[in-house]
Amino acid sequence: MRLCIPNRLEDVFQALEHADTTLGRAEVDDACRADVRLVLEELLVNTVRHGYPDGRRGTIEIKLEARTDAVRLELRDDGQPFNPLEQEPPDLPGDLADREVGGLGLHLARSIASGFEYARDARGNRVVVRFDPSPPDEPTP
Amino acid sequence: MTLIVRNESPTPERSTVWLEGSLDANSFSDFDETMRDITPLVDNGGTLVLDLSQLNYISSAGLRSLAQLRKQMHDRGGRTLLLNPQPQVKKVFDIVKAVPVKEVFASIAELDQYLDHIQRSVTGQG
Repeated sequence: MRLCIPNRLEDVFQALEHADTTLGRAEVDDACRADVRLVLEELLVNTVRHGYPDGRRGTIEIKLEARTDAVRLELRDDGQPFNPLEQEPPDLPGDLADREVGGLGLHLARSIASGFEYARDARGNRVVVRFDPSPPDEPTP
Repeated sequence: MTLIVRNESPTPERSTVWLEGSLDANSFSDFDETMRDITPLVDNGGTLVLDLSQLNYISSAGLRSLAQLRKQMHDRGGRTLLLNPQPQVKKVFDIVKAVPVKEVFASIAELDQYLDHIQRSVTGQG
């Protein structure tokens, strides 16, 4: 799957549905589908909310390669430089209602992914996330 | 995926809310709005039970909604108990460590037992 979406929340939610359909067609297991959805939601929402502080229009590219034994997600955006790996993990356990615990979504995304890479080039930010689904008919140990 | 919220309030002391679907960046504001109508119906010091057996997905936006709900109930001397979270929701709770283990129950029987225990402690029985 390859999608280019504007930096708007409504397009993010449509992209999440597209991604889930792609994962379903590839027969990726349910747990991994939920993991991909979560990482994609957290990263895309974060980019839309914070990546374009000047309010300009931007483009986010989403590439999703899905197999039953490996899923690779690549996100590119033309927002301001932002390396999710450089963000301090939130102070946990903490009461999320008492204060705005920053970086909660990014912490979830990093915790759930099997691999997480960031690079910045002339086109903008590039994040590659890997997941390890459970292949069907895996022999029971 | 959308979110469906149902509520039954057999007593003002205890109200149960069933969540079905996804509690995420797309649905949390509707959820917050619905809960603004429901929580005042629970007495101060009462118990709000969130039945999560049909909630199959939560993200950080949903976590914040649940945290705010817990805080509102706590500020009124009440409590929020979570029932039967499913694998994805449980996984997110575990990573964030934001929900005390003693407020999450696998079954209604376990939850009833906990509330009975509290009631007995309050009335000095048992």
